[in-house]
Amino acid sequence: MGYHLRKVAFYLAALWAAVTLNFVIPRLLPGNPVDILMAKLQQRGGSVDPAARQAYETLLGTGGRESFAQEYLAYLGSLLRGDLGVSVSAFPAKVSDVIGASLPWTVVLVGLATLISFALGIGLGALVGWKRGTWLDSLVPATTMLAAVPYFWLALILVALLSSGLGWFPLNGGYDVVLDPGWSPEFLGSALYHGILPALTIVVSSVGGWLLGMRNMMVSAMSEDYVLTARAKGLTGSRVMIRYAARNAVLPSVAGFAISLGFVVSGSIVTEQVFSYPGIGSKLLQAVQNNDYALMQGIFLVITVAVLGANLVVDLLYGLIDARTRDRSTVS
Amino acid sequence: MFLHKRLCSLGLAVVVAATAACSGSGGTSRSRDTLVVYTGQAGDYQLNFNPYAPTQIEGPGTIYEPLFFFNIAKDQPPKPMLGTEFGWNPDGTELSVTLRNDVSWSDGEKFTAEDVKFTLDMVAKTPAVNKTGFKGTTTAVDDTHVVVKFPEPSYMDGPQVLGQLWIMPEHIWKNYATPATEVNPNPVGTGPFQLGDFKAQSFTLKANPKYWGGEPAVKQVRYLSLSGNQAGVDALKAGSIDWQTGPVPDIKDVEKNYPGYKVVTLPLNQVSLFTCSNAQLGCQGAQTDPAVRQAIYHGMNRTQINSLAFQNTGSEMSPGFTLQPRDTALLSSKLTDRMAPMNADVAKAAELLTSAGYAKGPDGIYAKDGKPLALTVKVVAGWTDYITALETLSQQLLQIGIKITPQQLSWNEWADARGRGQFELLIDSVEQGPAPDPYYTYSYFFSTATTAPVGEAANPNFARFSSPVVDAALAELKKTDRGNPARQQYYDTIQVELEKSMPYIPVLTGGIPNEYNDKAFTGWPTKDDLYAFPAVWKRPDASQVYAKLKPAGS
Repeated sequence: MGYHLRKVAFYLAALWAAVTLNFVIPRLLPGNPVDILMAKLQQRGGSVDPAARQAYETLLGTGGRESFAQEYLAYLGSLLRGDLGVSVSAFPAKVSDVIGASLPWTVVLVGLATLISFALGIGLGALVGWKRGTWLDSLVPATTMLAAVPYFWLALILVALLSSGLGWFPLNGGYDVVLDPGWSPEFLGSALYHGILPALTIVVSSVGGWLLGMRNMMVSAMSEDYVLTARAKGLTGSRVMIRYAARNAVLPSVAGFAISLGFVVSGSIVTEQVFSYPGIGSKLLQAVQNNDYALMQGIFLVITVAVLGANLVVDLLYGLIDARTRDRSTVS
Repeated sequence: MFLHKRLCSLGLAVVVAATAACSGSGGTSRSRDTLVVYTGQAGDYQLNFNPYAPTQIEGPGTIYEPLFFFNIAKDQPPKPMLGTEFGWNPDGTELSVTLRNDVSWSDGEKFTAEDVKFTLDMVAKTPAVNKTGFKGTTTAVDDTHVVVKFPEPSYMDGPQVLGQLWIMPEHIWKNYATPATEVNPNPVGTGPFQLGDFKAQSFTLKANPKYWGGEPAVKQVRYLSLSGNQAGVDALKAGSIDWQTGPVPDIKDVEKNYPGYKVVTLPLNQVSLFTCSNAQLGCQGAQTDPAVRQAIYHGMNRTQINSLAFQNTGSEMSPGFTLQPRDTALLSSKLTDRMAPMNADVAKAAELLTSAGYAKGPDGIYAKDGKPLALTVKVVAGWTDYITALETLSQQLLQIGIKITPQQLSWNEWADARGRGQFELLIDSVEQGPAPDPYYTYSYFFSTATTAPVGEAANPNFARFSSPVVDAALAELKKTDRGNPARQQYYDTIQVELEKSMPYIPVLTGGIPNEYNDKAFTGWPTKDDLYAFPAVWKRPDASQVYAKLKPAGS
């Protein structure tokens, strides 16, 4: 029990630190929301009248700023009440509404893509490790190269090839704009169709990491005595590979996977940008570009909580699976 | 192609009919009376149809109408919209407006003078929506007449009140306690269009069948959100948008590269080097010396900048900051250069610097008191045309012994530096007001009232320019009605003063290119028929265009 309490206390402290950083970092940005709003409106033929600036200051309530400490206390207070504030860039929408509308898109797209990438990488990694020294080894440099290519470049190439060139996939967007979002089969089909290419780019660019990790663990697991014993007992090759070697080799990857699930929430800003995808990454970009402190804080908070949560789960699970991580007295 | 067909027939793609990819499979969702526009919206739309909110996504002109339409593209009388005529009393403190009698709101209620009074009062007493500094009091004389009284002569507020205040329905908006934060999901207006459906990635306007000017021929306008300019160009290439505003690669060959599309480029923004010009307000650096600003002005080869950076879409600019060719009639004959010279005059620049006490150093750069003439120019990272212009300019200015270094910043950082005056030079454009009149440009960018010391936010007189001569002329202009010939002397005074001081160094008048589908729709504004400024994001001008377009062949 002491172990779990210690862990939970540690995570609470980490959460407080993260929340405080969320508050401080956006405020280090140069500029203020009103000037940026004015500059943006001017770009689109808006008024440059000084009266307009005063009106926006009044509207957004950025005229007289309170002291830093007062703002911080107010921020902590409203966080405890679950109130994330009002977004300036989507004024007067609430931050929680903005996040709520965009989060599902990211979670489904990046989540599924991460899952597929993990499953594919582990499967191929186990196979490649098992059959090392054969032509399958060339999969390692091939997928690593795809992972090393800058992601946006890969994505743009695929868009140019598969969308612009061949016309198999839509250029951008999360769904066909003539449809009403909802649970209708047309809409779900459209969302799925629009998600294939972004998901494909994520899978292609991340599968190499999983594959490499799994293959290396596989190779070292194969030299373990229990694999030799299993072979000596005359078990079939596939049984030895899956039940003995791969099962042990996959453990570190599972931990990595749990952590990467935490990062799913932060989305993939570049993916969403390249494909005009309506997810949380594009909202974060919008917040940063508009000095929208409340929205930035809200998104950072969601990301922080997700990452910390995933780590906590992994930590607790590890304590359960492996007694060595639980006991401080063991020196290994 | 085989796979293409298969994908289209798969369950995955039952609904792709609307995308260009599979339009062969019988999609009819984009009929010819639907106009698809891209206003530059990056990311999702956030529902907001309150025309007084800065984050509104549509409404001015299309759903809600002003009393008159002021066309800033062309010097012409205002076009009657909800008002039919207006007039000032002799001292310019009282504005009488006659209203149309045959207008009803889209929910069937009749539009009356009470709605106008309600709207103007709402603006006057709600600082958060009063974007024009409106201070008048309004009286409804009868159903079709209103009188607005101002505390001082306010001829220049006319275009703001008549052309920029969108008339709202009293019977609905009187129930809203805080008009500034109302998102207005079901807008009821008098305009040619009504809200169709709204989705985060796109929304539509549909024609108002009961519109007083007759139902528009374009039955539906669809607004798309894309991820940015590149996505806009791609969509144009795919033919999935009918109208967008902004540069595309290889602009002179638009008709060849995008069959059926045409481009119209109109001068609007006067691209200039903004200088932090006023040492008294705390500006530092060599650019506070007018001779240096003049030398840069003469050392510029504008022809070269135009071709290298702006694809030749820019045009000549007057150092007096009248928008040419719109303000030809106002162009002062007292200017030394009526138009900024298109080619560099190295000798003239050298003479200016030498007589100001600068001497050429061994590295070919002029210096004074041991300080070389080296300046940084701030520019927003990613504004590629401006960045190219500055790279070109820095080469040109080396010829006259001035070293400028472009410095790329994020938008936020740049906007902050601009507001606080923490720059030596930056590149941006001087913009226009609500009517075809340079008065507004002068009063925004050149008046002492709109500036502030360095360190405090100024808006929008970023150059910190302050001249009693200009301020006095502006005060006189404010007291004189537009169209009165007595105004010219004040315009002359201001233009001469600006040419002399040059707080903003003229580069070129930037053209705004608009690409539009000329095959599917007719009635677009052209250089010969500029009935509105043809930028899709310009409100209320875009609504004038929507209402005038006709599907081709109908």
